[in-house]
Amino acid sequence: MFKKLIEESTGKSPWLFHINAGSCNGCDIELVSVLTPRYDAERLGFKLAGSPRHADIVVVTGPVTKQSLPRVLRAISQVPEPRCIVTMGSCPQSGNVFRGSYSVAGPLSKYVHVDVDVAGCAPKPEAVIDGLALAAQILKEKRGQMK
Amino acid sequence: MMDFPFVKEAISQLFSKSSCAMYPAVPSQAAPGYRGRIVYHADKCIACGMCERVCSGNAITRTVEHLEDGQDRITLTFNLGSCTFCATCADFCTRNAIELTGDYHMVATKEEDLLVTGSFIKAAPKKKAPAAAAPEDCQAAPAVKPRDDGKPVNDPARCVYCTLCAKKCPVQALTVDRAAKTWVLDEDKCIACGTCAQACPKNCIIM
Repeated sequence: MFKKLIEESTGKSPWLFHINAGSCNGCDIELVSVLTPRYDAERLGFKLAGSPRHADIVVVTGPVTKQSLPRVLRAISQVPEPRCIVTMGSCPQSGNVFRGSYSVAGPLSKYVHVDVDVAGCAPKPEAVIDGLALAAQILKEKRGQMK
Repeated sequence: MMDFPFVKEAISQLFSKSSCAMYPAVPSQAAPGYRGRIVYHADKCIACGMCERVCSGNAITRTVEHLEDGQDRITLTFNLGSCTFCATCADFCTRNAIELTGDYHMVATKEEDLLVTGSFIKAAPKKKAPAAAAPEDCQAAPAVKPRDDGKPVNDPARCVYCTLCAKKCPVQALTVDRAAKTWVLDEDKCIACGTCAQACPKNCIIM
């Protein structure tokens, strides 16, 4: 009985973990605005987790610099399966204007499987909510497959 | 009641409307002037390559496919996953073929979903040349020789008549008509500054 309750509840409240992989801070501010009362993603169950071990969805911003790459991979590996990785903004998808820089190791899809891309520079909070909703859906499917 | 001055406020807030933007339930429009998803009007494009050159994120790629009848199929691909949405491409486009719309729903599970493509067929230059309004210019020798006085000469074989040179000319010495395919230099006005040659995306102006 409790198992079923837990399964239903975890599907309704995916927790986020945010990794800044050398971002310019634009996307980070937009993500914060998604979680604060104006857009309030918490009413949809999205909650920012302090530790990757508590998270279901990983939101990565920034072009994945060489300095941040080992930390990003380490943090992602600490997130328990099933997990969903969301790239936010153009930087983790392609490098954007930082592409070709000596210090950029991205794009992120070279190292881990990326589930959802949210394009924009920076994406509008509504677009981020769309992306997170899609991520939650994918997470639900992944959980169904793991059974 | 004196000890709890906030009780009245708390109860009134319980029954008041939420201050959240109830986004997924209530659709929201982007602010006017918002630069979102790119729309590419391939029918207006002349493939001058200016957008590709000014793009800071290398989001624009142009591929040319040679068709059997001497025509070229030109395809422009805009990768929204690499775009900064700065609209510099749209600003530089002389034909207004690039438009940044207010559509911000750019969420994808595959990278291909974030590509905006458009293609058009460019007629063969040989067939076009005799039909042009200035046949003397167009039938000139393919390699145009530079003039002795340092003033610009146009190579009609490469020119796409985008009018960028005429727009950049500081003394309005150039008259370019795209419809008639003419490139006329007013020699008296020209100061041989070279701005037109620098502005030319096809490098067809020879000084």
